[in-house]
Amino acid sequence: MAVGWVKRSAAHHAVSEIERVEKAVLETSRMQLHKLVEEALPELEMMIGWAESSDPLQTTPIFIRDAKSISKLTCGPLCSQNLTGYLVKPPALDSVPKDAKPIGICVKGCDSRSLVALIQEKFLTRDRVRIFGIPCRGTVDWRKVEKRVQLLNVKSATVEDDWLILDDSGTTHKIALEEVLSRKCLGCRYPNPVIHDVLIGQSATPRSTDLATTYRDVDAIEKEPLEQRLAFWQSELDRCIRCYACRNACPLCVCQDKCIVETREPRWLTQRAGIPEKFLFHFIHAMHLAGRCTGCGECERVCPMEIPVTLIKEKLNKIMEEMLGYAAGLDPDAVPPLLTFNPGETEI
Amino acid sequence: MRIGVFVCNCGTNIAGTVDTAKVASEALTFADVVYATNYMYTCSEPGQQEIQRAIGEHGLQGVVVAACSPRMHEPTFRRAVEKAGLNKYMFEMANIREHVSWIGNDKAANTAKAADLVRMAVAKLRFNQPLFSSKMPVNKRLLVIGGGVAGIQAALDCADGGMDVVMVERKQYIGGKMAQLDKTFPTIDCSSCILGPKMVDVSQKENITLYASSEIESISGYIGNFTVDIRKKATYVNWDACTGCGACMEKCPAKNTPDVFNENLGSARAINIPFPQAIPKKAVIDARHCRQLNGKKCGVCAKICPVKAIDFEMKDTIVTEKVGAIIAATGYDLFDHSVYGEYGAGRYPDVITGIQYERILSASGPYGGHIQRPSDGKEPKNIVFLACVGSRDASVGRPYCSGVCCMYIAKQAILTKDHLPESNSYVFYMDIRAPGKNYDEFVRRAQEEYGVQYIRGRVAKIYPRGDRMVVQGADTLLGVQVEVEADLVVLATGIESSAGAGELAEKLRISYDQYGFYMESHPKLRPVETNTAGVYLAGACQGPKDIPSSVAQGSAAASKVQSLFAHDTIETNPQVALVNERNCIACGKCIQVCPFGAIQWKELRGGIKKAEVLPTVCQGCGVCNATCPPKAVQLQHATDNQLLAEVNELCA
Amino acid sequence: MKDLSPRSSAPADETAATTQGIKIVGFLCNWCSYGGADTAGVCRFKQPTDLRVVRIPCTGRMDPLFIAKSLIYGVDGVLVSGCHPRDCHYAVGNFYARRRMEALKAFLPFMGIDTQRFRYTWVSASEGQQWQKVVTEFSEQIHRLGPNPGLKQRSGDHSIPSIALR
Repeated sequence: MAVGWVKRSAAHHAVSEIERVEKAVLETSRMQLHKLVEEALPELEMMIGWAESSDPLQTTPIFIRDAKSISKLTCGPLCSQNLTGYLVKPPALDSVPKDAKPIGICVKGCDSRSLVALIQEKFLTRDRVRIFGIPCRGTVDWRKVEKRVQLLNVKSATVEDDWLILDDSGTTHKIALEEVLSRKCLGCRYPNPVIHDVLIGQSATPRSTDLATTYRDVDAIEKEPLEQRLAFWQSELDRCIRCYACRNACPLCVCQDKCIVETREPRWLTQRAGIPEKFLFHFIHAMHLAGRCTGCGECERVCPMEIPVTLIKEKLNKIMEEMLGYAAGLDPDAVPPLLTFNPGETEI
Repeated sequence: MRIGVFVCNCGTNIAGTVDTAKVASEALTFADVVYATNYMYTCSEPGQQEIQRAIGEHGLQGVVVAACSPRMHEPTFRRAVEKAGLNKYMFEMANIREHVSWIGNDKAANTAKAADLVRMAVAKLRFNQPLFSSKMPVNKRLLVIGGGVAGIQAALDCADGGMDVVMVERKQYIGGKMAQLDKTFPTIDCSSCILGPKMVDVSQKENITLYASSEIESISGYIGNFTVDIRKKATYVNWDACTGCGACMEKCPAKNTPDVFNENLGSARAINIPFPQAIPKKAVIDARHCRQLNGKKCGVCAKICPVKAIDFEMKDTIVTEKVGAIIAATGYDLFDHSVYGEYGAGRYPDVITGIQYERILSASGPYGGHIQRPSDGKEPKNIVFLACVGSRDASVGRPYCSGVCCMYIAKQAILTKDHLPESNSYVFYMDIRAPGKNYDEFVRRAQEEYGVQYIRGRVAKIYPRGDRMVVQGADTLLGVQVEVEADLVVLATGIESSAGAGELAEKLRISYDQYGFYMESHPKLRPVETNTAGVYLAGACQGPKDIPSSVAQGSAAASKVQSLFAHDTIETNPQVALVNERNCIACGKCIQVCPFGAIQWKELRGGIKKAEVLPTVCQGCGVCNATCPPKAVQLQHATDNQLLAEVNELCA
Repeated sequence: MKDLSPRSSAPADETAATTQGIKIVGFLCNWCSYGGADTAGVCRFKQPTDLRVVRIPCTGRMDPLFIAKSLIYGVDGVLVSGCHPRDCHYAVGNFYARRRMEALKAFLPFMGIDTQRFRYTWVSASEGQQWQKVVTEFSEQIHRLGPNPGLKQRSGDHSIPSIALR
């Protein structure tokens, strides 16, 4: 890993006229966000959003209670993280009393579906959150960037139009955004938040409107013969170190320290580092998300071993869509399909 | 844990194809097993004593018996270990008879499989926990669904025992099919003479509440504590006022209403009391045929009724009854013979069913008990009876024997000769099934004293010739084709399950077979119980049955209810779900999926929510356990760890 | 202390053969299919001996993870059987099970596990003959597939397919 840990400096904005215009759009969104948050903050317990971090390629979550911090808020393709997990998981909300004011949160299209799922499963009530929806054109996967260019000491990363521009120790890299977007973004059907109180910026055009585009990677796996698929997953999952980062990052993995991959009562898994244990762990993760996963890709984003773990859930999402016509995180009033039934479906 | 394993030889039932000694010796190698033996008949008195002796002698804390199905003897062995001081849930059974010795002859493979099953049982037992029942009160009221002779018998028996009985009948009268019969075999008793007093008893017993023209809307609860919603269908007559005088029937202008009680021979009025002895003797308006209810100006009955009982605005109402036990006695329906094109598919008026002929024979029937043809009212001379119409015929989906047709044909043929001494009766049959007391003698009397001609063979075709019907068939004993010119043909239509039997079974949560007949707990040993505790069966809803058997079952079911009601409380089943509050993440998924509403929220101090199982409502299906993501809710005696232990034994 | 009963004559070390051959685990609902299997036994309907039955109260108790766990850990086949739809002793347990097992059935092959190793079916307590048919067919199917190849640690020389993901 050769990402530089130098703070981004405003002095490095050397860009063309067109890029300046596109940048202005982004800046406008940012300013609009600042303004709206500033207006809303007095009515909020806190505001959860993204802020620039010491790594120019990644943003960091920020929990704002004080208007002075609002200027740190940012949005755009570098804001990969799905923040909704903070609404249901410790420690962010441990100090927030139950009868507190609503919490403000920034969501992209995919993140908003997690919110819907959490509301649907009654982990959240709608009036507990003030949703700042941000249409999304896709988020940058820093590992894809790393694979494209040798990075030594990135000073700044800016997105201008369809390009990611990196200043790496004096060298400017201009990379097509399309080539470094996260895998899940390339089949995105919901770039615009499906639930929101305010919407920031202009709505985005979905990259996909059909199952084939959305599930292209699933189909790629399924084209392979069974033995190859097994070999593929054996080789991928063999790398799993069972750090549970995927589970911890998932906004819908709500069991936390009660997760059955770690308990003795019941004891589903031992600590043995065998392939069967790794398979079963990922089966448990996936089956517990069947009919609930919104495909936000957090599990894959945080995997230190670069295992395409979202792909496993994508397959189940595809099954749910094809078999039961259900996509998670769209309707807060729907019942997840595995928690209900239809006597009439004789041959599903 | 100190575990003892007892491998049963079951005589040669198991030992014949399983090396039980080898299974026992292998069991000794399993973790925690300190004692293992095989025994000739483990379920026998000395066999059970052997278990109890070993528990004491070896300090056993858990017992595995490898023998027959736990559905057979689990209660037996649980009692045995309980007597020796163990909790009865510290016991497991390995089914090495039904699942091993009886289904294969390869002794080596069977022995290996039996050892595996014992290994699994031992593995599970190591995770067993003592479980304890609690007591809950029994509501000593009985619901009888169906007011035929079986239901009447059950209701009267229980009412005589001092219990409150609620009877629900969907028709407007009780008595069921028996009320439509003229005489009964093999004694030629008059049906209404023997049934009538019982019907009157039902209406007069103060502790029987009768809901006629009513159906079961929904049932909730469990043994000892059912709640039943009953839909009282709109009769358009206020039964509290109606005296059953019948004045309305005489004046009703809707004269073309089908006479359902008389099996559509002749017609009735839109407002009707189907027969003079009907219980309850109350009029009902048939909404499909009433002029007033179909937008025409009429209201004659309302004008004529001396007690102003007519209420055209009446709507269905729901009443709720709480009971502790339920007897299903919903009876049967008759096969629709119109699927037989070769018998005229119901087009010929003089090809009738047995039950229609029953109405013709009845003095209160459409022809006043005079035998005549529906088509022209002529007295028939030649009458042909066809057995097995919709029975023992897989091609129409009715491969079973209806059990009563042979007998009622003989009865009807005898009665025909009594009514019309000059007539000739012919019976086409496949086999004569007459196994009851005095049954075969009765059939012989028909043949020998009454000259009924029995022809063994099926009828190929029935078609009209002039004003008569030609019945063409084969006499398979003589090997010749037979043709009979008949004035009247009677089809002995078979018994099928009552319309709507499946829907009711679902409300009762009992099983039914592919034909819609309800499943008893055990075909021999628990004939009137179902697998749902507190729900019992009587009569033909369980399978085709004649009157004596239906009455016997009615009494049998009543005795089951009385033995239940002899207790003020019943023990709850401790094999229910239990929430480990420490692990509950309050996601509420268990509450969402529970089919019985047995899980609710519980608030701990500090406003923390947790799921809580109501053990008396929980039925122990385990859907919550399968659904709970952190597995905080565990079905006792089938916990994840117990099932995983069994599975782990099979994972190489 | 291990106590060998005087009635057991065979020495304890002879039966190692049990771990060989095909192993199928059957999860059977207590009310229907377990009874159906009993009925088949009572009627002496001969069946292959590979099946090992785990008795469960209802197919609704079936967490698909039991099936996944069995197949991942090398069981050769998994058969789940319960009451016919609409005939569940608990009214609706099998409706839940049906959806969950259908989802698993479609999911297994994606992970490289042959879906033919898993079957679910509905057999009532009265259907002994049907049970014989189900067990025979499924056992034959598993024998055709052979032992579960299971999951192996990745070996260096094993060729890993390069599947192009986005």
